[in-house]
Amino acid sequence: MPAKIYIVDDDESVCRALKTLLMTYEFEVITFNSAQSFFDNVAVDAPGCLLLDIHMPGIDGWETQKKILASGCKRPVIFISAEKKDDALGRALGVGAVGFLQKPVNGQTLVDLISLASDNYQAAQ
Amino acid sequence: MKSKIKNKIKAPLLKKVTRINLEKKIRYQSDELKSKSGQLRQGANREKLGFNREKEGADRERQGAKREKLAEEQIHIRTKAMESTFDGIFIIDAKKPDFPIIYANQSFYDLTGYSKNEVIGKNYFLLYGYNDNSRVYEEIKQTLREGKSFQGEMLNFKKNGEKFWSLLRITQVRDKNGITTHYVGNKTNTTLMKQRDLEIKEQREELLHVTRVGKLAEFVSSLAHEISQPLTAILSYAQAAQRLLKEREPQLQEILQFIINDDQRAAEVIRRLRYLLKKTKPAFESLDINVLINDTVSLIMPDVTARDKSIKLELFTNPPLIQGDRIQLQQVLLNLISNSLEAMESSKDAHELSLKTSLKDKYTILVEVKDSGCGIPEGNMKKLFTHFFTSKQDGLGMGLSISRSIVEAHGGHLEAENNHDHGATFYFTIPIDLKNNR
Repeated sequence: MPAKIYIVDDDESVCRALKTLLMTYEFEVITFNSAQSFFDNVAVDAPGCLLLDIHMPGIDGWETQKKILASGCKRPVIFISAEKKDDALGRALGVGAVGFLQKPVNGQTLVDLISLASDNYQAAQ
Repeated sequence: MKSKIKNKIKAPLLKKVTRINLEKKIRYQSDELKSKSGQLRQGANREKLGFNREKEGADRERQGAKREKLAEEQIHIRTKAMESTFDGIFIIDAKKPDFPIIYANQSFYDLTGYSKNEVIGKNYFLLYGYNDNSRVYEEIKQTLREGKSFQGEMLNFKKNGEKFWSLLRITQVRDKNGITTHYVGNKTNTTLMKQRDLEIKEQREELLHVTRVGKLAEFVSSLAHEISQPLTAILSYAQAAQRLLKEREPQLQEILQFIINDDQRAAEVIRRLRYLLKKTKPAFESLDINVLINDTVSLIMPDVTARDKSIKLELFTNPPLIQGDRIQLQQVLLNLISNSLEAMESSKDAHELSLKTSLKDKYTILVEVKDSGCGIPEGNMKKLFTHFFTSKQDGLGMGLSISRSIVEAHGGHLEAENNHDHGATFYFTIPIDLKNNR
């Protein structure tokens, strides 16, 4: 069974493009335009790695991660954002994420990070 | 703690008071004149009638002596007054060809640094001709030659070379035939006022510069974000296509690689641009919100007066200190005040803008900027704080969005609502600095 990836990004075009790219790596990809619709449709214990945009209207990336942690879920999360604040990576790691990537994201770098995330996740299970 | 200082700043009012005083003075003096000429006329009538000439004669003598004494007293008072005024006063003899100064008061000597010997008998313009701006003096001479009085502010030099700003007025003194016999000059030292004006101007310019840079940085940042999204999509699509083609179609592979390279080049340009305009870190310090408001109001007061508006301050006494960046918070206040002024521009009845500080709760200060202008159309309410939204023809739509991000960086909130009667109120909160309070 292919590994599952969830993408949450308010930009539909970004969602579609990342999905197209990741599907060439044989991932199963499901996209959401808001954190709310991700929470509404994906069970806390459903396996899969999350690519999470930071700047979104409504619940933003940081808030989403807080909620995920609060629900007791150990889902691996990779933050992606167009804007790179000085401490973005540090902050991302600080809230338990696997990493931070600045847009535009290079495909191979992303896939390497996803593999690292799922390895860690499986080792932890 | 709950008491409030009510404080009204109303520049036009001041002018009005001075004008009323002046009118009073003029009325008083003309009454005095009238009564004096009335007395004279009365005397002349009596003479015509030819009654009691002897008695009249004696009376007149007594009155004459009395009048002389009064006149002497008057001259004494006027001379004393002229000597004690802060303004430098000088009188020029207009009948002599070289227009010599025949009198100057003490303040004139103090102001110019010249002594009596160096001034009396000298031509005013020769007095400091070589030091000063001769073009101004030509203008003064021309104005006087045309029979008009001169008024102007200029930079002068004391005898020792020290600079000072002065307001000079020169008016004609005419005899009863209307011939100009003298000129009287009045020189006021305006250096302090000028310095204050310059300081205010500098502060305004600094603030404007910071605002412009802030706007540009915010503009570039949102532009960068908007462009990064499609660049992300393009890169992902191109890399996906490369993978789908694998070892086939080398020409297409090459084209895809070019797309990827240029996408990354564009991303690099944006990254560098963003780095260049990276916002300088806010410089947080302990601030008294009332001092900040008073400073900001004094910066914008010339604008307020020019638009014939006024600002009412309702400031909470001894507010707890806050932590903040002085320039950034001033930027927010200035932005809200100038928006309010613009909202009141079109309505003639709207004159007053009010600024209020209060305690929202134990931990929070509330600042309100209330106007009586045109208010905010309900449809615009939601979009008010978003980038690039503006209802002004020449607006960029950055002011309120920047203001909100500044307030939020200070841990507060910026909101707006329409008033029940007229206009709108913008209000923001700033947390009290709990560690650092009196």
